[in-house]
Amino acid sequence: MGEECSMVNIQYSMGKYYLLAILATVLAFAVTASASAQNPETPLSSIEAEVADTIKQLHEVTVTSKQPMRTIATSQTLSGADLQALSTTSVADALKYFAGVQIKDYGGLGGLKTINVRSLGAQHVGVYVDGIRLTNAQNGTVDLGKFSLSSMETVSLYNANKLDYCQSASEYASGATVYLQTKRPTHDSLSVQLRNASFFTWMAKVNGQFCWKGWQGFVDGEYCSSRGDYPFRYHSEYEDTVGHRTNSDIRYGRVEAALFKGGFSSHVYYYDSERGCPGGIVRRLSDKYTNVGREWDRDFFVQASYQERFFRKVLFKANTKYANEYLRYCTKYPENQNTARVDNHYRQQDAYGALCAAYMPWSWLSVSSSYDIRYSILKADLKRFEDVKRVDQKLVFAAQLNWRGIQAAASALHQRYSDWTFANAGAAEPLDRWTPAASLAYTFRGLTLRGWYKEIFRAPTLNDLYYTQVGNRNLKPEYTKQFNLGVEYHWNSGRKSMVNGQWSMDIQADIYQNKIENRIVCLPLKGTYTWSMMNYGETFCRGLNATVKGHYHTGQWNFSLLTSLTWQRDVDRTDPEDEDMYDKPICYSPTFSSGVTGIAGWRSLQFTTSYLYVGERMWSKADPEDILEPYHNIDMKLSYTHNIKKTSLGLCLEVCDVLDIQYEHLPRYPMPGRNYKLTLSFGI
Amino acid sequence: MKRFLTLLLTLYIYNAHAQERLILLNEGMWQADNGRLSYFENGAIVSNQWFRDKNGYKLGDTPNDIVQVSDNLIAIAINWSNIVQFIRPDGTAVAATEDIPNNRRLCTDGRFVYVSSYGHECETIHGTVYFDKGFVAKIDLSNFQVVATCEVGYEPEGIALYKGRLFVANTGGYAEQEGDHEFETTISIINASTMTLEKNIDTGIPNLYGEMSQSGRYLCINSPGDYYEIPPCGLIFDCEKALKGEACFVVFNYPVTYNTTTLDGRFLAVGSAFSYITGDYVFSTLTIDPVTFIETRGQSGLSQSLPGTLQADFANMGQPYGIYVNPYTGYIYGTDAGSFEGAGYLYQWSPAGQLIGKHKVYINPGHFLALPPADWATKTSPFPASPLGGGDEEAVYDLHGRKLPAGVLPKRGSGGGASLYIKSGRKIWYGR
Repeated sequence: MGEECSMVNIQYSMGKYYLLAILATVLAFAVTASASAQNPETPLSSIEAEVADTIKQLHEVTVTSKQPMRTIATSQTLSGADLQALSTTSVADALKYFAGVQIKDYGGLGGLKTINVRSLGAQHVGVYVDGIRLTNAQNGTVDLGKFSLSSMETVSLYNANKLDYCQSASEYASGATVYLQTKRPTHDSLSVQLRNASFFTWMAKVNGQFCWKGWQGFVDGEYCSSRGDYPFRYHSEYEDTVGHRTNSDIRYGRVEAALFKGGFSSHVYYYDSERGCPGGIVRRLSDKYTNVGREWDRDFFVQASYQERFFRKVLFKANTKYANEYLRYCTKYPENQNTARVDNHYRQQDAYGALCAAYMPWSWLSVSSSYDIRYSILKADLKRFEDVKRVDQKLVFAAQLNWRGIQAAASALHQRYSDWTFANAGAAEPLDRWTPAASLAYTFRGLTLRGWYKEIFRAPTLNDLYYTQVGNRNLKPEYTKQFNLGVEYHWNSGRKSMVNGQWSMDIQADIYQNKIENRIVCLPLKGTYTWSMMNYGETFCRGLNATVKGHYHTGQWNFSLLTSLTWQRDVDRTDPEDEDMYDKPICYSPTFSSGVTGIAGWRSLQFTTSYLYVGERMWSKADPEDILEPYHNIDMKLSYTHNIKKTSLGLCLEVCDVLDIQYEHLPRYPMPGRNYKLTLSFGI
Repeated sequence: MKRFLTLLLTLYIYNAHAQERLILLNEGMWQADNGRLSYFENGAIVSNQWFRDKNGYKLGDTPNDIVQVSDNLIAIAINWSNIVQFIRPDGTAVAATEDIPNNRRLCTDGRFVYVSSYGHECETIHGTVYFDKGFVAKIDLSNFQVVATCEVGYEPEGIALYKGRLFVANTGGYAEQEGDHEFETTISIINASTMTLEKNIDTGIPNLYGEMSQSGRYLCINSPGDYYEIPPCGLIFDCEKALKGEACFVVFNYPVTYNTTTLDGRFLAVGSAFSYITGDYVFSTLTIDPVTFIETRGQSGLSQSLPGTLQADFANMGQPYGIYVNPYTGYIYGTDAGSFEGAGYLYQWSPAGQLIGKHKVYINPGHFLALPPADWATKTSPFPASPLGGGDEEAVYDLHGRKLPAGVLPKRGSGGGASLYIKSGRKIWYGR
């Protein structure tokens, strides 16, 4: 009976106006497609062009087609040379240099790395690869440690939405969005990298690229293994604990490939890893027992996107994706005497499709609509857990205006989640909500003033709702409301001063205010010895994000300076009667943090220094002593590439955490401290 | 007259206050290494970091139980640190052992400490012993080593001594995660001297988890149910009848999540019933007279109330986390864990249940130990120098480890039946 009812739900959820919307979008496509047979226009995404010379190779020039309304959104981007110059191995490492970002890292190579933007929480951050969202229906967060920077052209962070003419509804559906744009090859090449790093870390990477008759593609493979058994020391008035991190090893392999042609792009990704999940460093009399848990991951996805323009006035885009994720978590080891002995397997599959259409009746106006549908299924061999299926549909209507320096955008997003399960209490009620967003900006001589408002929620994840002994199917969505006022200024010296060098500069500053309602948290239940997911609490956050970027190029010299600054006050607004908590800062949220990166390049020699400061954070409100100390982190990177005809040989030395401060993101989870990486690369 | 009575009451409270000495165990947050002791004396918190103040280092992660072994020895089970820590009543450390991983609850006869454990191995003087299920370890206080073990059910929790037998409540609490066993429904009875399992008594009630208080021959045991179909409940268990092989327990439909024994042998309990299916929880408070309750097979002896303002004060707490009666003075204590990120609170009530004060402590304050009042030593002869030295074979102690004057046997509980005392490291039942 339950099954029948739920099926009805799903069918109902595909309700009337959705069908109308799909029909409308499909019709629009059919009509325009039949009318315009050939119109292979350049895609809107960036294209790189390289000019070869017989005597010397010129610098790569990035030609970016006119980005619509770029400054109306609050965004930060690391691209091309700057991105590669950072001492980073994963996407998480690059994002920590952005203003407003807090990284949560359990330490070591294998530790989970998630980001939190403007204190909204990791589950409000959507991560998109070439415009298609990476999802995890299970817990809603993406481990950014799994994505390599080597295949990325740009990494961008948008607070609220990116504003393109033709965006899928999913792209409107998160509080903050991280865009990973894969590199489109510009020539045939093959490169090999070998790396040896501290703590018995070995890595090998192969990358092959080709361009053939308008097709571009690459294959990128990487294998890494690390013992991760770094030494740590806790030295204070009350302890002097020394030891080596145990169960912090990782081994992973990653293979990905992409194929592009004009408005078509596709991507295949496979990741396979085994890692230890180290626990907190607590008082023990010996190393006899470790709280061993090990995790195996296998992630696969394949995705494709196609974008086409008709009559110069109609843009159409279709996205599709299939993802299959497997996770195994095991604690059946003799060294583990402290937890239940489990060996659980989770399997999750996702099928996704989106249709987007935009119409530009005049050059200053565009209207667009998109319909997305995602079908997820989660299986797990947990007791009392039945397969859960979720259909998640999104529909957006958006309009953008760009007239004499005035830019405006507005969108209304409708989301509907319907679940279907045999689990004990049945499925949660379908979730059905509209949320708005609006932006306004004015640009005058490179100076933009902007303001935006966005309301969005995150739906409870399948874990939140159905996880054995914790899940609560009565959860409401967690709402966020964001206000932002900002200013942005661009300046560049242009070609005229080619002789004296080229300058460019970007400054932006935004003040913001966020409110989160109905936070979804796991709480112990009043005297029951149990925990459950609950809607509890409200937070209020005010802050300032500022970034300054400068580039100077003269002769064979290149200089870049990237700085970011975050000041914010993030307070609890749950219960006005609770003096200990109300209006007190939220745990783990620093008031002040900043980053400075300097890059100096001469010919093919490059030196980068990155400095990051994160202020004091509380980790509990019980005692003023419960703080995480502020920390300074300095990374340095020196690289040299030697070119002989068409082959290149590179050598790169990185020193991370030069000051050897074993700072913590979570109490008792020490970071590795000073470590070294030596990378050798060879390319043709 | 009224004024005079008030003055008398104030004087009484003040006088009694001076006798209040309490060690409170704050569990802290899991894996944050912030378990702490709070020390409370004369109506004020002396320190919320008492162990560290006294020893210069931290206690460890997630302490779970504390008992007084003798006048000068206290044992603490520090669960996530795998340590059983011994301290003196002044807070200074004596010894620590990690031979019993995943230790849970403690009881003692003054010569040995018995520890229940969810773990599957134990280091003993005879070498490492392995278990499929959980076990009880016996620590000899002359060398702080495990001299014997006994396998019981999966995930044993509460443990109590009666007439030389250990009564262990098995939970099977990992059943929901492990899947290879179900919740346990048994009480294991172990001969404490030989550490052999004498019998398992099946209560038919799953998951006997939580605080387990003892009042002479009676135990107050909680079952949170399975949080799904099986609702929570409570049991009063009669150890005497269990040993005789008679019907020995009565079940009632209220959980007794947190419970304690009053000076006159009754149980006070606070419980919450929760179901993942409905998402609802129901709060309850109980006072149980175990003698009447067992004699009438549950027909009377149970009231859904607590003395004085306790009931209302507990109902207003964010997260009740413990209840305790000072066995020396009758003062009542309760804790509120509040929101688990913030500090918890210790509440103090008079023996009649009037709220006296509320004190900020640390995260998850859950376990209590009252120390004898300062003048206690003048009332009784001092405890033998040390349990390490063997002690006085003829000395008699009550169940709280207090030495009694020669010739005086402990008061019996509220009802009829018998009294208990400890002599030569064994509990002795004294029939009427």
